[in-house]
Amino acid sequence: MYALDDVRVLDFGQYVAGPFGPMILADLGADVIKVEPVRGDGMRLVGKPYFGSQRGKRDIALDLKDPRGHELALALVATADVVHHNMTRGTATRLRLDYEACRAVREDVIYCNCYAYGPEGPLSHLGGLDPLFQASSGLEYDAGATHAGNMPLYYRFGMCDTGNAMLSVVGVLLALAHRDRTGEGQELWTSLLDAGTLFASDALIVDGAPIERPRLDPGLHGLSAGYRLYETADGWIQVAAIGAEPMAALRECTHAADDDGLEDAFRTRTSQQWRSTLDEAGVPNEIPYDPDAGFGALSDPVNVALGVATELEHPTMGTVRQHGTLVELSETPGRVQGPPPLVGQHTQEILTELGLGVADQEELREAGVVTWPGDDYEERYGEW
Amino acid sequence: MTQALEGIRILDLTWGVAGPLGVLLLAEHGADVIKVEPPGGDPFRGYPGYKVWTRSRRSVVCDLKHDAGNDAFGRLAQTADVVVESFRPGVMERLGVGAEALADANPRLVYCAIEGYPRDHPLAGRPGYDALVQAASGQQWEQPGWRPGPIFLHMPMPSMGALFLAASGILAALHARERTGRGQRVDTSLLQGAFLYTTQIWQDLERADESFHAVMAKTDPPGIHQPMIYECADHQYLHLSVMSGLEPTRSLEEITGAPASPLQIDMIDWSDERRAELAALQRDAYKAHDRDEIVGALQAANYAVEAIVPAHEQFSPPHPQLAANDMIASVHDPDLGTTTQMGVPIHLLRTPGRISGPQPRIGEHNDPIWGGELGYAADEIAIITAAS
Repeated sequence: MYALDDVRVLDFGQYVAGPFGPMILADLGADVIKVEPVRGDGMRLVGKPYFGSQRGKRDIALDLKDPRGHELALALVATADVVHHNMTRGTATRLRLDYEACRAVREDVIYCNCYAYGPEGPLSHLGGLDPLFQASSGLEYDAGATHAGNMPLYYRFGMCDTGNAMLSVVGVLLALAHRDRTGEGQELWTSLLDAGTLFASDALIVDGAPIERPRLDPGLHGLSAGYRLYETADGWIQVAAIGAEPMAALRECTHAADDDGLEDAFRTRTSQQWRSTLDEAGVPNEIPYDPDAGFGALSDPVNVALGVATELEHPTMGTVRQHGTLVELSETPGRVQGPPPLVGQHTQEILTELGLGVADQEELREAGVVTWPGDDYEERYGEW
Repeated sequence: MTQALEGIRILDLTWGVAGPLGVLLLAEHGADVIKVEPPGGDPFRGYPGYKVWTRSRRSVVCDLKHDAGNDAFGRLAQTADVVVESFRPGVMERLGVGAEALADANPRLVYCAIEGYPRDHPLAGRPGYDALVQAASGQQWEQPGWRPGPIFLHMPMPSMGALFLAASGILAALHARERTGRGQRVDTSLLQGAFLYTTQIWQDLERADESFHAVMAKTDPPGIHQPMIYECADHQYLHLSVMSGLEPTRSLEEITGAPASPLQIDMIDWSDERRAELAALQRDAYKAHDRDEIVGALQAANYAVEAIVPAHEQFSPPHPQLAANDMIASVHDPDLGTTTQMGVPIHLLRTPGRISGPQPRIGEHNDPIWGGELGYAADEIAIITAAS
């Protein structure tokens, strides 16, 4: 048994903030159906971010603008517990797939929209990507030590996308808890903007003035002499001397008179030597690991054994490594259900579940309303 | 009004970033959260963000290290649906209040542990401060900055990932409990939180060509987004992004005075010099405008662009979208006075979330919980809450 194996999610999302949440729900056992345009999700061409948000889903390729495609989508909604997407404001209404339309065929549906800016306000009609919200929340200002005269710095992890998606996972599960108790479904939303705000939520204002927060030094080493990176004779070491005792131990084992002395002291010995010395002195520390653009981290036997990294077999791309299931449930463990699907890989299977016979399926495919992989797959979609 | 987690009680023994914030997402959707603190209080209380991260819950004190406090905690755990803790591995077991012991007395209990590293990781048991996990996970080496080498991430990214993993794991376990009648153990860690944010940059595909791995590879300057940060006439910065989903109503050149970049595909045979020349023209163009003026003009013409501000300026002057979507809250704090802070970031329309109160004072709810609910007398409460 899996925690969510009684939950079906219909995923109409694109890019990252839409599809990543349903992928995490799939890892927890949900039956996730990606409803993909017949021409293929535009994000497929972008490569890494696409592959990182799609595993474990079944895929039906459907033209939502065709009346028969729309009818099939609603037939799927009728079987779904959750409808999930990141369309801009008004798009779902134009496609006749907004909450009201879905609720008409599935009274207790949980309907989640991951916006860029949220549904109200002067910019709500605009979409947008992660960098905007690293800007609006202050993350880039802090990351680059802009207060000290540097340029702002973009975090390349794109975590406002992922954060929006994870807010939606928590939101969907909250709505599910309410439905479990009352039988009632509901509509919910999250946004990239809110994800950025959550990440910078330690910024609060007291009687009109911002409170002091820890700031980076202009060289981006850390927040204080005790909580920062030091360059060593052969590399780097991160120190976390939090509290008076570890701080005193740090000064003692480095024989440093002051903060500048600490920098000089660390340059005299290797990272490994410092690690032993600091461990012995009771000063928390780690040597920064170079993940080799992720290839090292994803094939590290420790990460693989623990499921932090996972290995999948993809029909056209061969072995795929990416992060694994990242939360462990002792009685209903998570699982990676499969690789990212091809465009329409499960169209026939899903249409059959909806009660359509082979002849009807072929006819829909002829008419361009649905598709599934054929001999011309690579010609149409490349290797993705 | 009904809330999603009404009737769910959570005992919060966490400290740091991930635990308090993960619990916050549940607290503000109706869970009854009791923060269980050691005598003297959670050592992280001095951190300013804690006023936000530990709001919407009650606080009791008990010393788990002596019998009276330990027994009282055990009784409280029998009334709970969820226990969340972030001690180092083995600490709760040694105190006799580990997952198994608590589940023996309360089989419906969901027990969530947030560690620095997964339990069987070689670094398990080592200190799990956020920056240490930034280092060990590879995140610091992955981030370019103003110098070579690993970069300290100001945002505590591993913790900011683990908070979601904990909250979603707890909710998944509560859903499973509806069918099984039993709780279970939920484990996550800051290391796993760090990996959550690798999904766009760490992918290894056996048969992918170079172009696949070139997208989102670490480069200097970093990636496609960093070069779209522009300095303006007033020495403020903005971040332009590639698409808003809408057709622009005016050209970029018309608004900024500099030619727009052609599509990547049309620039393929451009020399480095030619690219640099265009980039310099664009940088100079933004320097002719004040930030807010040009951001407003670009947004009005459907461009995706934001001013880069210090974190508190998201609230004051308020970002119009945060203001319009109920994401800026005024919270009266008994010590600080009137504070402006983040609202509730998950918007459930039938069962709305809400901030149920400011950060509680240490042990503020000792009397109603230890006394009123569990029936301890005043002298017994004094012993439960005293340091051993």
